[in-house]
Amino acid sequence: MKKNFLTRFRSIRTSIIFSFALLIIFALLIFLVLSLKLTRETALENSAEYTSQLIGQVNNDIDSYIGYMENISFIVASSKDVRDYLFEEDLSLERQKELRERISGVFQTITDTRDDITNIALLPEERECLINRGKSQLNPFINVSELSWYQDALEAGGKAVLSSSHVQNAIHGSYDWVVTLSRNISRGEDPGAGGVFFVDLNYSAISNLCERISLGNRGYIYILDGTGGIVYHPQQQLIYSGMKQELITEVMEAETSFFETKDGRLYTISRSEQTGWIVVGVSVVSELMQRVDAARKIYVLIAAVLFMAALILAYLLSDEITKPIKALEKSMKEVEKGNFAHAVLVVREENEIGHLSRNFNMMTEEIQNLIEQRDQEQQIKRKSELKVLQSQINPHFLYNTLDSIIWMAEWGKNQEVVRMTSSLAKLLRRSISNEQETVTVAEEVEYTETYLTIQKMRYKDKLEYEILVDPEILQEKIIKLILQPLVENAIYHGIKYKEGKGMLRIQGFRQENQIVLQVQDDGKGMDADTLAHIFEKHTRDTRSNGVGLNNVNERIQLYYGCGYGLSFRSRLEEGTEAVITLPLGAKEENDGEL
Amino acid sequence: MGNYKQGILTAGLLFLAAALFGIWFWQGRERSFEPLRIVLIQKAVDDTDFWTSVYEGGRMAARELGVELTIMGPEQESETELQNQMILEAIEQKPDAIALTPSGYQETIPYAEQIEEAGITLVLMDSTMEKEMGESLIATDNFEAGSKMGAYMKQFVDEETIIGVVGHVRGSSTATERERGFREGLGEAQKQIVKVVFCDSSEDKAYDLTCDLLKDYPKMNLIVGLNEYSAVGAARAVKDLGISENCHMAGFDSSIEEIQLLEEGIFDAIVIQKPFNMGYLGIETAVRAARGRDVETYVDSGSELITKENMYSEENQKLLFPFFGKIGRDDGV
Repeated sequence: MKKNFLTRFRSIRTSIIFSFALLIIFALLIFLVLSLKLTRETALENSAEYTSQLIGQVNNDIDSYIGYMENISFIVASSKDVRDYLFEEDLSLERQKELRERISGVFQTITDTRDDITNIALLPEERECLINRGKSQLNPFINVSELSWYQDALEAGGKAVLSSSHVQNAIHGSYDWVVTLSRNISRGEDPGAGGVFFVDLNYSAISNLCERISLGNRGYIYILDGTGGIVYHPQQQLIYSGMKQELITEVMEAETSFFETKDGRLYTISRSEQTGWIVVGVSVVSELMQRVDAARKIYVLIAAVLFMAALILAYLLSDEITKPIKALEKSMKEVEKGNFAHAVLVVREENEIGHLSRNFNMMTEEIQNLIEQRDQEQQIKRKSELKVLQSQINPHFLYNTLDSIIWMAEWGKNQEVVRMTSSLAKLLRRSISNEQETVTVAEEVEYTETYLTIQKMRYKDKLEYEILVDPEILQEKIIKLILQPLVENAIYHGIKYKEGKGMLRIQGFRQENQIVLQVQDDGKGMDADTLAHIFEKHTRDTRSNGVGLNNVNERIQLYYGCGYGLSFRSRLEEGTEAVITLPLGAKEENDGEL
Repeated sequence: MGNYKQGILTAGLLFLAAALFGIWFWQGRERSFEPLRIVLIQKAVDDTDFWTSVYEGGRMAARELGVELTIMGPEQESETELQNQMILEAIEQKPDAIALTPSGYQETIPYAEQIEEAGITLVLMDSTMEKEMGESLIATDNFEAGSKMGAYMKQFVDEETIIGVVGHVRGSSTATERERGFREGLGEAQKQIVKVVFCDSSEDKAYDLTCDLLKDYPKMNLIVGLNEYSAVGAARAVKDLGISENCHMAGFDSSIEEIQLLEEGIFDAIVIQKPFNMGYLGIETAVRAARGRDVETYVDSGSELITKENMYSEENQKLLFPFFGKIGRDDGV
């Protein structure tokens, strides 16, 4: 059977702690995941933002280089000297030389002022080329008109065209990495005639820009031209060898300004309107996330502290909740044992448990009352039962005594008849008089002696007795009818079966603060087995007085407590000794009840 | 009491779980390697494109892999004794790995042995030694490079063609392999190789040897040089003798002069190595080997056949001109 999750544990406390812990772990996990995600996203966005600014700056710098080159090309293209040199027909040699010198002067000024301009040249269709300061030559093994930047310039009409990065091989003896801006200068209506002007930007100007910027230890910047060709990449050689791949189409097609790759790189993209180039910043996310890692540590630490605090709280709370329940449980166990005195709960709180405890207290009190009531009722019932019994005189005894009287009367033993009849009358009177439960020792002894008088007359030669009671205790009050049954028992079970005369001795004395009454006989005695069962009901045979031995014992104990009562010592063929112990000076508190 | 114990137990378990979770979380990204220290000992640390490219390639790999790279080497390739001293110096530093481009085919062996004896991972680059050593060799596949040249030059071969080869050092592994590859590339035409000469890596000697060759075989119309010096020397001779119209040529490696000779049409093709890749792969392999990972015993750093037509292609110009702004300058001729 599927158990309820929370009841699976044996104690409420464990359930509380466990569910608390679970709840907290759950909450903390969500907190951790969310905050880390948020922190990560923020960090990533910040990095992208920061990288964007950096590479945007790179793009701006490139734009300003290119803008500067365009300005130069525009100035050159619209310069009157250049136009005269290109288009004026029938130029004299002197005029040509003069124009060349002036244009070269301009070129020289430009290359002197700008380190980043590697080459600047005018390549007319018909006239002599003007390169840099006028001293450089075209590369004799290269047909310049076949070079891509030259052809692109022609195709573009009069517009400036920007090449990708390349080795400039047009000039003899130099192989510089440059970016070329070329422009066709024509007369407008006749695009063919004229010439091409170009200016080379030193590639290191661009590569330095990119290398100067640090995107962490492993991050880098690369530049693509408008067609996806690599203008600059720190690992260009590896890429061309196929040892490294770089995202080119992804970057060309990217719609957002940054994206993250699966291998943990952040690509940030900046496009230049002017050049059409794309500057891409690549940063390694794990490097960017170093601060996030620190944040993660703090979060985990906070989570751990919170978890501990929550656990302690759960512990204390469960303690608080289960304490009264435990007290209740303990109290119930006490009640089970019948220990009502320790069962009362102190009600501290006014909640459900408090109500429960209060109800429990009421219930135990009620039970306690009921039990006490029952005990009292039973005691009363028992006492009255015993009272009824003690008042009965055994009919056999009565019959036998009367029979003895008849025989004595027939034999004319008048004196004996008188003695016996008066003794019987005394006995009967005592058994009728029920108003007093207690009598003095003297009275009890007297009553017993009366009984013995009758029995002595009946068993003449068989019974001899002696009564020795310390006068000190004669006036002590004791419950009545305790001595006579012992004597009766001694006669019927001991002396009666003895060959010859039996001796019965009644002794009464004080022992410390106890009254001791002894009935000794030298009859046939009892074996251990009989002795053990002496108080059982069946020992009360029909011939004895109604008051049995167990009745005596029970009454003594009911009256005086368990510390007192009746005990026997006996040996077969030697005799029996019955001893009653009673308290000295007992109060007659229960007087009148019996 | 039982409940109490159970509560403590549960709390303990939960705390343990939380602690483990925390530790896992904590250590998740923390496992960083102590940066490895690698020493790269080059044959030379000079301003040639070749060694600078090896150096740059190595630096690129080191930066990417996050290792500490120290680069050493004498000023000239011929200083074998100096390089050997540098090997000892490097061993003193107790690096995790040494990437060595051995100068001597035999002289370097005892020193390389000391590297391995010191328990330092050894990776060889560029050249081999008489004894096979090191975890890995990263070098140009010279046989393949030679065969590329042979296969290309085959187009100029007919029955009449007489072929001459100018090698650099007789018996050196590069010369042997390149020649073998060249023959392989030529196929049947290799029979037309009439002579192989060795210039001991001297341009002047190569020039003289070529002149002698052309004197001995006036109809020789295909000459190849097996390294930069032999190729340039041979090409100068052919150019000076004015027979370049009829003589096809090919060479190895690149220099400005070779490039110009290629542009001029003296050379039909040159085969160049990829030193940047060699440096990059060399350090990458050294790092992998030092970290105890499996490495290939031989890594080809590659070669490329360059002709006048493709020399300015996007891919090849970066190989031919690895560095900007260094070659030539303004009006210098």
